[in-house]
Amino acid sequence: MRASVGDRLVVRGHRVGEPERDAQVLEVRGDDGGPPFLVRWSEDGHESLVFPGSDAYVEHFEHQQN
Amino acid sequence: MQTITRLHRTGVGVAPDRTIGDVAKLMSSSGIGTVAVLDGDTLVGIVTDRDLVRRGMARGLGHDARVDGVMSSPVYTVAADADIHDAVEAFGTHAVRRLAVVDGDRFVGIISLDDLLVDLSEDLRRLTSPMALEIDAPQRDSSVPVLR
Repeated sequence: MRASVGDRLVVRGHRVGEPERDAQVLEVRGDDGGPPFLVRWSEDGHESLVFPGSDAYVEHFEHQQN
Repeated sequence: MQTITRLHRTGVGVAPDRTIGDVAKLMSSSGIGTVAVLDGDTLVGIVTDRDLVRRGMARGLGHDARVDGVMSSPVYTVAADADIHDAVEAFGTHAVRRLAVVDGDRFVGIISLDDLLVDLSEDLRRLTSPMALEIDAPQRDSSVPVLR
């Protein structure tokens, strides 16, 4: 799994009725855009390192070149 | 060989000096109840929501106590490319419900006993479905004479 700064990481719920959780990728710490990612969770702004598993996916966004 | 790759869940990592209050909020916002404690790149412990309650709240620790005071260490691990049966063996040996998944020395995620059981029960269902069909709708060979 690869990500860029600004992408959205989504972790699916693990139980019936449990919502997805999402976070914004702040830093990519692995090689070639790979994990771990430093993220900020949308719900309350907490930051953590994340190592995505089979329950997660990344939504890529077009990043403007300055 | 069937590896655990498709079964391992997203892992969240925090530094040993994060507070248990912080980690509890992180568990809530991420929906992940097992957090890896990392000293740099080194995995030094695992803390679950249950640990926060039993080793933290129940012993009167405040929200500002460090998470490394309630974590489990050493951490039982399984390799990211391990066969499912190796994971079954590891769960049986260590009597835990979560194992850290590692690639070499590097933490890459969590595998839970629940996920493994669900996956293995699906295999069992596939294996037993022909037998269940036979019981529900027995196939009889019409050419075999029936003795009266």
